[in-house]
Amino acid sequence: METCTKVTKEWLNTQEYREKNFAREKLVINPAKACQPLGALLCALGIEASLPFVHGSQGCAAYFRSTLSRHYREPVAAVSDSMTEDSAVFGGQSNLIEGLKNANALYSPKVIAMFTSCMAEVIGDDINAYLGNAKEQEAIPKDLPVALANTPSFKGSHITGYDTMLKGLIECLATPRQEDKINNRLYVVPGFDTYTANLREYKRLLKVMDAPYTLLPDQSDVLDAPNLGTYELYPGGTPITEMNDALNAASFLFAQTYSTPTTRKYLASMEVPVEVISMPIGVEKTDKFIEAVAKFTGKDVPEEITIERGRSIDAMTDSHQYIHGKKFALFGDPDVLIGVVSFLLEMGGEPVHIVCTNSTPLFKKAMESMLAASPYGQTATLYAGKDLWHLRSLLVTEPVDMLIGDSHGKWAARDADIPLVRIGFPITDRVNLHRYPIVGYSGVINMITMIVNTFLEEKDRTSTDPYFEMMR
Amino acid sequence: MFTNLTKLDLKDKQCMSDAGAPKLCMKALPGEGAERSCAYDGARVVLMPITDVAHLVHGPIACAGNSWDNRGARSSGSQLYRRGLTTDIMENDVIYGGEIKLKESILEIAARHEPKAIFVYATCVSSLIGDDVDKVCREAEAELTIPVIAVNCPGFLGDKNIGNRIAGEVLFERVIGTGDGPDEKIPLSINLIGEYNIAGDLWGVIPDLKNLGITLQTAITGDAKFDDLRSAHRASLNVLICSKSLTNLVRKMEICYGIPFIEGSFYGIHDTSETLIHIAKALNDLDLLERTLVYVQKREDETRKTIAGYRKLLENKQAILFTGGVKTWSMVSTLAELGINILAGGTQNSTPEDFHRMKELMDPSAQIIEDTSSAGFLKIIAEKKPDLIVAGGKTKYLAHKTRTPFLDINHGRKLPYAGYQGMVTFAETLTRTVLSPVWGLLKQEFPPKEGEQDD
Repeated sequence: METCTKVTKEWLNTQEYREKNFAREKLVINPAKACQPLGALLCALGIEASLPFVHGSQGCAAYFRSTLSRHYREPVAAVSDSMTEDSAVFGGQSNLIEGLKNANALYSPKVIAMFTSCMAEVIGDDINAYLGNAKEQEAIPKDLPVALANTPSFKGSHITGYDTMLKGLIECLATPRQEDKINNRLYVVPGFDTYTANLREYKRLLKVMDAPYTLLPDQSDVLDAPNLGTYELYPGGTPITEMNDALNAASFLFAQTYSTPTTRKYLASMEVPVEVISMPIGVEKTDKFIEAVAKFTGKDVPEEITIERGRSIDAMTDSHQYIHGKKFALFGDPDVLIGVVSFLLEMGGEPVHIVCTNSTPLFKKAMESMLAASPYGQTATLYAGKDLWHLRSLLVTEPVDMLIGDSHGKWAARDADIPLVRIGFPITDRVNLHRYPIVGYSGVINMITMIVNTFLEEKDRTSTDPYFEMMR
Repeated sequence: MFTNLTKLDLKDKQCMSDAGAPKLCMKALPGEGAERSCAYDGARVVLMPITDVAHLVHGPIACAGNSWDNRGARSSGSQLYRRGLTTDIMENDVIYGGEIKLKESILEIAARHEPKAIFVYATCVSSLIGDDVDKVCREAEAELTIPVIAVNCPGFLGDKNIGNRIAGEVLFERVIGTGDGPDEKIPLSINLIGEYNIAGDLWGVIPDLKNLGITLQTAITGDAKFDDLRSAHRASLNVLICSKSLTNLVRKMEICYGIPFIEGSFYGIHDTSETLIHIAKALNDLDLLERTLVYVQKREDETRKTIAGYRKLLENKQAILFTGGVKTWSMVSTLAELGINILAGGTQNSTPEDFHRMKELMDPSAQIIEDTSSAGFLKIIAEKKPDLIVAGGKTKYLAHKTRTPFLDINHGRKLPYAGYQGMVTFAETLTRTVLSPVWGLLKQEFPPKEGEQDD
């Protein structure tokens, strides 16, 4: 490798460096993904009285809790069995058994959601066998459900960890499907979704549409808990009884594609009807959600929904001129990216750079065909498996008007001198964004508000007197 | 290849029998909770503030992904230290080993990011799969013109404290005294050990040192430049201000370079003055001591005058204190300065010495928090019903649910609290926290009980 004598900021902004940067293979700079166990933890928090339990080194759990806490500004409960060097030699069984015993005694959960971090996976701990031994030794009651998920951080990302834990929870809690006991409910799975308001929005829409439903998992009351003067360890989540009956669901509807394949496959193998749609971001994708629910209920779409849709479209017409023709760069998780890009195309916005670290071949195909089908998608390139340092090179060599992504994008946006609109996870430097839905028709209005007002704010702060106007 | 733990001065310490004393044992209780971070995190805390070097994490995404740019340690110059660099170990690396990947990553960083040195952090995974981080660093260093320094701190070694000490070893072995510059002592110069410039704390102390004619050789490691750290052995005195996490380092510097050390704290008026006076005494310069005595009196008077208004508002408030390190005891006198009584105090990440010092300073009626888990913390809030809680960010949102005003004094904060200037900021922030109108709103019954509507 040649050595470079002077690395200047200017040089980092050149096409020459961009090429060298994109030739980089081994090193990751400013990563835009989280790890499997973090996703598993988020999933586990969405079940009633469920205690997330990390089988691995102690630092992992502390990191996940702090990352989630900083995003939601809420306490996050989780325990760890704190494996140490001797566990590496002798295996993690004794930690696991003692951990289960202590966790149950201290926190009385209705279910323990156990997932692994790297250490346990590298040494090859068999958590299923260990759990059997724990119950055998009466460390915990035999009837205390313990869901299992293998989620090493050196595989997949937070969205696959979420998926694996979800499958584990259903496997553990649901009774076998019986054709004569099919319930009338639509089980809606939001996927790895860090907007508590999205979850509430799903519930509201399902209620308006008179669909008997279960949201699975549901962290809305856990990670956006009211302040009532006392701390509740288990303030909400999908009821255990509805978890027990999950395999008897009339149908499952998945509102995300790429964070749910393992669970869908499992349900299909249990002969549960499964439907999957894109995350309902933007009008077209929300329509698909509404249609799927209407198909399930067999009822007409209520007028209330039609009116709501009309208001969103009205908001789009009021503000299309601020987005049409603007150039965007985006980064984030596959499902959110498909949704936000779809929304931008509806508004005539032009995505130029799309960076997805945890991309999959299926996602790439879906994104590229969506872009190809729109006149506004012609200039876009999807960069699969790239990081935020690649993104920085893209922004400084091929400038755009706005970056959309989570808080980690603020360095790249600053270097490129463009605004960052925060959509994704984690958002650690702005308040309350997770309390505004980005899904559904109301999500459309919220996204317009965020994007357009950011542009207008920029204009006001940078325009000279002759161009400073009361009307924008 | 693992760090020999006996070297770290841990094994000779027994776990204390005192209730509530921090556990220096290497094992956390499985299943208890997950407040405690790991050795890897402890090493990162100490080394990451070094600004003009690259910090490369040889691990899976969890380790760097959750820790890059997460500490609020500020830099007046290079921002390179905040770049999130990792080899992002994946399944194939676990199977085939990650040494080649690591070496290429080191060379890439050296070529394109202009670091003064590269620190390479081992993690649970890299250690368990047998990657020889030391060897790779040596090989890479041979091809480069900068130091490539292995930090063997896999998380499974235990608590944060252990990682702190490993980092101290690394600084002593690989950084301090390794420069090309002169070795002779600089008169009236000090190192501030354990000052990480969180929220700019260091910058609140530097003006006072300057005014007294004391030269800061370097902080270890807040806002530190690599070359200044290499010359840290030229200081005449080490001032240890994050208590014992780097005791091993100052002891070794004393033996090897003849630099004496004292302990101190820059939190609060009393401790700031005391520390400045101790520094002057330890530097053994009568003129400096005289200057200092006059200076601290003047600064104390000024500061007390400035905070008098805040003190009036905070006087007789009841607090719970729960923190770590030097703040364990230093915050006791800082709160007393504002007329605040401590109902209960506790610590998790401190040394036995810190703990005892806290105990001695607190009013005998104050309770020691014995159960340091979330559950124990909540119990004590319910029992004591304090007016405010002063603690680290991990308990912030928990405290909020109990409707208790909360001030974060650990790395989650955004404002500097060190030195005389920091005391003013602290008093001001604490007042705003305690007197926020939101607490009143939270305590209002809604809907109002009958007969109370017209209140």
